[in-house]
Amino acid sequence: MKWLRRNVWRLLIALGTAALALGYVPEACPELGSVLPRLSPILSLFGALAARAWLGWLMLLGIPLLILAFFKGRFFCWHLCPMGFVSEAAGKLNPWGKGLVKRVPAINKALTLVIAVTATCGYPLLIWLDPLCIFNGFFAVWREPFTWAAAVTGIGFVTIVVLSICIPNVWCHRVCPLGGLQESVMLLARRLRPPKADAPPPSTLSAAAATRRTVLAAIPAAAAGLVVKRALGPTGRKALRPPGANLDRFTALCARCGNCMRACPYQLIQPDLGESGIDGLFTPKLVLRSRNLDQEQYCFQDCVACTKVCPTGALRPLKVEEKHARPIGLAVIDLKKCLAWEKKEYCAVCDEYCPYKAVKLVERNGVNCPIVDATKCRGCGACESNCPADPIAIVVKPI
Amino acid sequence: MKRETKKDTTRAIKRRTFIKTGAAAVASAAALPRAAKAAEPKATVVVVHGTDIPKMIEAGMAKMGGWDKFFKPGGKVALKPNLAWNSTPEQGGNTHPDILRAVILAAEARKVKQVTIPENTCQPEKKTFEASGALEALKGTSAKLYRPRPSEYKAVSVPKGKVCQEAKVSRDLLEADCLVNMPVAKHHGGATLSLSMKNWMGAVDNNTRRAWHRNGLHQCIADFSTFLKPHLIVIDATRIMLDHGPQGPGKLAHPHEIIFATDPVAADTYAATLFGKKPKDVLHIELAAKLGVGCADIDKIKVERVEA
Repeated sequence: MKWLRRNVWRLLIALGTAALALGYVPEACPELGSVLPRLSPILSLFGALAARAWLGWLMLLGIPLLILAFFKGRFFCWHLCPMGFVSEAAGKLNPWGKGLVKRVPAINKALTLVIAVTATCGYPLLIWLDPLCIFNGFFAVWREPFTWAAAVTGIGFVTIVVLSICIPNVWCHRVCPLGGLQESVMLLARRLRPPKADAPPPSTLSAAAATRRTVLAAIPAAAAGLVVKRALGPTGRKALRPPGANLDRFTALCARCGNCMRACPYQLIQPDLGESGIDGLFTPKLVLRSRNLDQEQYCFQDCVACTKVCPTGALRPLKVEEKHARPIGLAVIDLKKCLAWEKKEYCAVCDEYCPYKAVKLVERNGVNCPIVDATKCRGCGACESNCPADPIAIVVKPI
Repeated sequence: MKRETKKDTTRAIKRRTFIKTGAAAVASAAALPRAAKAAEPKATVVVVHGTDIPKMIEAGMAKMGGWDKFFKPGGKVALKPNLAWNSTPEQGGNTHPDILRAVILAAEARKVKQVTIPENTCQPEKKTFEASGALEALKGTSAKLYRPRPSEYKAVSVPKGKVCQEAKVSRDLLEADCLVNMPVAKHHGGATLSLSMKNWMGAVDNNTRRAWHRNGLHQCIADFSTFLKPHLIVIDATRIMLDHGPQGPGKLAHPHEIIFATDPVAADTYAATLFGKKPKDVLHIELAAKLGVGCADIDKIKVERVEA
């Protein structure tokens, strides 16, 4: 009971996030659902740094945590973090494992350093280890209609719970990069502020040595990021991505929080289960062909819901006009499958549905046959999701 | 039958008169259809010209015999406007909301039991109903506008259909005591023109729609019109989209007309003339006439013009 009372704020934040995630986000303000992950500077600030983009005022939500860490150390972890709360609670299930954590070396600050340095280089690695993102991702699973594919965003949460049961507190004390970040800021603060008279003796490591170590560690981290970036190339182009995607470094920037999947009113965004390679695992991809034949399913031209809830800039916030001007993919017609071209049917459904007037009709044998104007096509998939041919004759391809 | 008789007499007269004087033959042949049209119209179309939509509706219905003929107290009324697209009333992609509102108010004034408006939109229904002005038009009325869910369609067979022999249709449209088809007249890339018979594509489910496109769109539209017969047709031709239909935006013309009829083929035949087209240019009108749905002979359609 005492433990619960001490944790009342963490509990409330956890429940609040869960409630928001489970669908109580007011429609007028979808951004509310992304507040929790944005509180983490790893996602909001490092993300913007790596994306080299201004992500709107909401990205500044990452600053309070840094200030808090500067003055109060890991106050956020022990009193506010919902993932920490869950991890601690899970650890309590294993009363025999109390001392185990001491045998595990701490890698949290090293992880923080890797994320910070690679983000500065423009290609963040391991951004998806952020605990707020993992917590948020768990709740992205529970939506209508439930699919097993969507359940993968919950894997991180389950992993942490299992880990915390095996070795209580190992996540918070040894691994969590957000904890590592706060520790680093706290150490920095200690150096900057004059020590109080009754303060504990400063760490044995001299300031100069610590700086030297950090710099030495930063070099391989930066190199790793650049090597991965070079090896993978533009990572967003291997699959069809949601609108506003930063196609050059998509798989690096995406934290797999599941917000975009949840935000899509037409359930078009699904986690990638390997289509775009190992680095693209669990990143969002756009699935245009409707699973539910009784509902049109394409990326509606006036909807920018998913771009507003991305905490890292993997999807940049778009205005509706920007979406109209920015291609998601390109529709390609297979003339052999097309009802008009091949069977001389009066069809032209692709032209009928195209919101961008990107389908031109040319007359062949008295029948209007479609061709795609690549300069106008935005890859929304209105054509693909309504094409009556079987198999589908017009398909949106990644660009 | 009558068409045959007319042809025969024409030929007979020609044969007889040709021997006498060629000039007289031409004159009489030209004069005859006009005389026949005045004598025996097969269908009536009321065309109201004006700018005040509620006034136009009342004037047209007065000519059609009054609303009481169609809306009975306690009866179920179903309306089928065209509200397929996320576009504004000015763009002409959807039935004008003022027409929708006028008809709903007329139905409510006659104490009907319910007014339902099922519409299988082509774009997300929430945006479509809002942008088209339909939600605004429904304000303060009891009419129910919705996009049917799978369970709200009923499988029916189309016995007279040549290609389309079964379809899934909105249940409320089937069960209505008075069914009003209220399309907007516009260009269409696949069906040439989208008029009253084409408007039934928003009455069926997506699988039916897709099957129609696969199996001969014009024939399927004609086939289905042998099955679903509206009690009243109100075609919105206040503004008509001349190209880039059915979604638009396209080039507009403004006939400022609303067309009333009970014969769908006659209504569409007249509406097609606004685009400078004849039934043979719009295949499904011709096919529907062949199936006996109505009259596609513009000379046998009595057009009553009203100014409002």
